[in-house]
Amino acid sequence: MIVFAVAAAVSVIAGILTVTRRNPVYSAIWMLVCFVSFAVVYLKLQAPFLAAMHVLVYTGAILVLFLFVIMLLNLRPEEYGREYPLPTRVFLALLCLGLFLFMVVPMVRDGGLNERIDGPAPAAYGSVRQVGEALFTTYALPFELVSALILVAIFGGVVLAKRKL
Amino acid sequence: VILRDYLVLSAAMFAIGAYGVLARRNLLILLMSVELMLNGVNIALLAFARKYAATGADAHVLVLMVMGVAAAEVAVGLAIVISVFRNRKTVDTGDLRSLQG
Repeated sequence: MIVFAVAAAVSVIAGILTVTRRNPVYSAIWMLVCFVSFAVVYLKLQAPFLAAMHVLVYTGAILVLFLFVIMLLNLRPEEYGREYPLPTRVFLALLCLGLFLFMVVPMVRDGGLNERIDGPAPAAYGSVRQVGEALFTTYALPFELVSALILVAIFGGVVLAKRKL
Repeated sequence: VILRDYLVLSAAMFAIGAYGVLARRNLLILLMSVELMLNGVNIALLAFARKYAATGADAHVLVLMVMGVAAAEVAVGLAIVISVFRNRKTVDTGDLRSLQG
């Protein structure tokens, strides 16, 4: 319980800081904190393989890519973009709070969600063997399609970002 | 820890990401906010799998697919940001009006 509460609080606070910092580098660093606490939540959900993949893919690849692009653009503070005026931002924050309550209020009313899910898991739940077998038998075709998608994304990234082909 | 706690965390991350997408005009932070939203959804998926699935392998594979798609999306998105900045010298969405009718 304590582990989950700490990880949830850290990810929410780091998430809010990510979307409110003006300097993209600070945003990226807070996103790193957020992703690490997400990995802890994945561990609490008995998904050790996904926690490892999350750290590898998100902090190892995506976050480093963000930092590389921030470094490459080398923005001056006046190039960070003009933000909306404060009343607009407060209105949008309230709108998103409304969205949050819209999702949470029905959950609070639903007694079926009260069940504890941190008890002992079924045998081999979320193990690398289970996930790997599903990935390479039942879901072999979607898995290969994702690899094709990533290959296309690599080509797209090169074509879009290269000055002259 | 009950199922609802995970769903509330998931909804909170989704709402925070939605605020970032709506209220920020820096393209880089816009992409980061989309990542936060995708992660929030992943947590809901895993929490439901923990409650209802016997092995959880199906949900875990689906979350892996989401990660793969998110990685592809970020790669293309950041390439577009670089290309836009090179041509227009700005990352402010308010300045990018060439497609406006």
